[in-house]
Amino acid sequence: MKVEEAPNPLAEGLHDYRVADPAVMIIFGATGDLSGRKLLPALYNLAKQRSLPAGFAVVGAAIDDLTEQAFRKHASDKIHAFSRTQPIDDRVLDSFLSSLSYVKVDFGKLDDFKALGQKLQELDSTNHIPGNRIFYCATPPPTYQTIALQLQAAGLNSGGGFHRIVVEKPFGFDLLSARELTQTLQKVFAEDSVFRIDHYLGKETVQNILAFRFANSIFEPVWNTNLIDSVQITVAEDIGIEGRGAYYDKAGAMRDIIQNHGLQLVTLTAMEPPLAFEANAVRDEKVKVLRAIRPLIGEDIEQSTVRGQYAKGWVLGVQVPAYREEKNVAPDSQTETYAGLRLFIDNWRWAGVPFYIRAGKRLPKRVTEIRIQFKRPPHLTFGREAMKEVDPNAITLRIQPEEGISLKFGAKVPSAGLRIRSVTMDFQYMTSFLVEAPEAYERLLLDCMIGDPTLFTRADEVEAAWALIDPIENAWRSQRPPLEMYAAGTWGPEAATKLLQADGREWHRP
Amino acid sequence: MAPAVITRVQGESKPLWHAEDVTMSDILAALSEVRSKFARAEAGDDEHIHPRNCVMTLIGVAPSELDERLARRTALTIGTEHPAQAIVIREEAPVRGRHLDASITSEIRRPETACAWQCEIITIHVRGRAAEHLAELVDPLLVSGVPTYLWWLGTPPFGKKELLDALRVCDGLVVDSARFEEPYSSFRRMSGLLKIAHHRLGLADVQWARLRPWRETIAQFFTPMDRRGFLSGISEIGVDYVGEGRGNRIAAALITGWIAAALGWKIKRAAAGTGGAVVARYEAGHRSVEVDFRPVQKEHLASGEISAIRIAGASQGTTFRLSVQHDPARRRAAPEPAYRSLHPTGGEDDAGMELAERRAEWHRDVLHENLASLHHTATGDPPGESRPKRPRVLTTERRQPDSARVLLTMIEIGDSEPLRHVQQMDPEDEAALLLDLLSTGTHDEVYNRALAAASELVDKF
Repeated sequence: MKVEEAPNPLAEGLHDYRVADPAVMIIFGATGDLSGRKLLPALYNLAKQRSLPAGFAVVGAAIDDLTEQAFRKHASDKIHAFSRTQPIDDRVLDSFLSSLSYVKVDFGKLDDFKALGQKLQELDSTNHIPGNRIFYCATPPPTYQTIALQLQAAGLNSGGGFHRIVVEKPFGFDLLSARELTQTLQKVFAEDSVFRIDHYLGKETVQNILAFRFANSIFEPVWNTNLIDSVQITVAEDIGIEGRGAYYDKAGAMRDIIQNHGLQLVTLTAMEPPLAFEANAVRDEKVKVLRAIRPLIGEDIEQSTVRGQYAKGWVLGVQVPAYREEKNVAPDSQTETYAGLRLFIDNWRWAGVPFYIRAGKRLPKRVTEIRIQFKRPPHLTFGREAMKEVDPNAITLRIQPEEGISLKFGAKVPSAGLRIRSVTMDFQYMTSFLVEAPEAYERLLLDCMIGDPTLFTRADEVEAAWALIDPIENAWRSQRPPLEMYAAGTWGPEAATKLLQADGREWHRP
Repeated sequence: MAPAVITRVQGESKPLWHAEDVTMSDILAALSEVRSKFARAEAGDDEHIHPRNCVMTLIGVAPSELDERLARRTALTIGTEHPAQAIVIREEAPVRGRHLDASITSEIRRPETACAWQCEIITIHVRGRAAEHLAELVDPLLVSGVPTYLWWLGTPPFGKKELLDALRVCDGLVVDSARFEEPYSSFRRMSGLLKIAHHRLGLADVQWARLRPWRETIAQFFTPMDRRGFLSGISEIGVDYVGEGRGNRIAAALITGWIAAALGWKIKRAAAGTGGAVVARYEAGHRSVEVDFRPVQKEHLASGEISAIRIAGASQGTTFRLSVQHDPARRRAAPEPAYRSLHPTGGEDDAGMELAERRAEWHRDVLHENLASLHHTATGDPPGESRPKRPRVLTTERRQPDSARVLLTMIEIGDSEPLRHVQQMDPEDEAALLLDLLSTGTHDEVYNRALAAASELVDKF
């Protein structure tokens, strides 16, 4: 091994220590919501944790006519408002703000990108940066291709150092547009330099699904059709569309949640053990799961999917309007705010095990969890009466909030007779370790700077997911099955309950 | 690094149980009752009580009342975020009877959607022969199946049977070499523990956790691929430390030992230079690396703390220089109110109060400045060899939490303009430092290697 390729011996043992090479991160849409709420606070927290190297610089690029000072003031305000860690450390903040620059960029103007290029060259020289660039598109998805092509035209995608581009979900609107986006991005950047962020994958508890399954020997032997009855995945939000009516009314719950977060959770739950926790090994296994999911076509779609839309109701003690009364939503909108479906994975491990997935807005509470429901014991040794209060064993992987894992099993009630009841063994993620978990964006930004794509979505994953969703979306546009209303603050439409009842099951109440 | 989960606690609640002249059986019975009451109360109408949640047992051995309070406060801070059992042992406490004095305090934490837990702090005052049998004393209290850490405040009795016995029931020992009373000889004796530290017994030093920002900053400089070659081009290192004498050179030795062990350098010799400086020479392959240890006086830093590190060299025709220094503008802790009480204001007017304030500050400064020389006159020890017993006022001042601690880094590569970088050092916080060490299970191979290399270096001082 050459000296230049050897790991840094001084970094050994600095647990959780990961540091990137000096680079410039260019945030397109730097004055927007994502940048202000997530990216700038995440970068500040990375600086606070000493994870940003000397010379690291951020260039804000947006259409707004701002001075550098005004952008720094904007960044400071957002960090104060949205940083995970409070109070804000003024000296860290001052130091971080001094690394910020701003360039006005109209995405349609090549000259603006050339001016951006000049700024980057200046920073390379003053900050000892060997040409490393990360272009972060914190902009609406339709701009991704324009930005990539302008970067190419301005020659900003080549030269010394690395050149990476980060795009946010949704990656396309359907299979066709996803392929177009991929083709454009791959014309400008190599696939391993395209970082598609689904921030769910940056959550520690999502990553912990793999640790739970593959770092323990006791769970994997039961993790299959022999002992598992069904899997339920719930992604519930108590909020509505929060001013995103224009986007959401075109997307709906299926595109907004199921196509990405929902299917990512399915793949992590169902994948085979990868050879190593390495980007391509993990993503290869995830793609295999997506390809093994039985496509829903024709009548399957009506029988295995549910679409609902919230009517007015009460959530967390507050009366909320119906979806159709929200701003920028058509008064006769047919967009679903609730999507439920039953999937089967046609492979040896999961044959015959239904995966029920539901995602919705204005449900009673915010919760994301995966519930692995086990089969009942083959013989009731203690008799039906003693076991009447016992639920089948279940493992619940709670993603948010109160991240953790619980195992439900039967135990004898302390009394003279023989009575068995379900009890729960709980593991709480945040109290069991003596360190704080980073916010998902902090983790993902650092991964991107370091060049580790394990927790980012690969092009073939995106396409495999759209290939499953497209036929369902097409049927839904033809009102098959019909849209069903549910009162805000309830667990979705009646059809969702019936979907499981038809199989002799019911939704677990999180 | 991922920061430790810390929530400030306002104060300790009153003990749930306190008794004097008791036996361990009495303590166990009381503890059982405390737990049972909590479990029953939390279960409410439910027939089945929630299982007890506990991630570790932390045993704090406190040689003084001040240390006892520090141990209890730290255990409470940790326990409010992480369900744990803490046992605080106070040796040589003025116990009146033949046996033990003990108290049990608990803090209950109720997360919004999870089961409540209670953090238990069991304080035991012990003296005489019982204090020499720590393992037997605490063994019945330990929680099964979770790690047990022994945190020895002050200077542990290195090399003595008492400590070795105590380690039998523990998974890790945590000390703070910055607080050793005889830093030089205690540090050497501590490195002897490396012989028995193995895959089960961990060894950790709070001083090592304090050095983390320095280690991270130095490691960061060499992380970019185009600077990796600089590692084999290091020709000189300078370490400035506060105070005089070899006893104050321990942190400097640890950081140097860390670099030497990581880069495979071998110590050749160390010799005294001018002005109290010491020069160590390492063999790095076919090259020689010089490390200069220079004593400095920094009012805002405690004796033994590192003030600055400079690393310089050249590789493939490019020179480089990394300079990291502790922020010189660090805020000084506010004067201890106890001093003010010795200087009455003579009235409530502003001038009188200001005059009294100045007198109090002068009084404290004179005491502070003369403390080391008074101590060395009294003991006859050379500078740095031993430290004065820690009077309460000066101790609290030395380690005040301070939010304005930063490292200033200056990078010079070739002819380019110097690059300045500011990084935050975590505020001095016993609980956070302790958690940093405990989160690794006190097993840190890098520390063990750094300690061994530092010990070799210290032997040459």
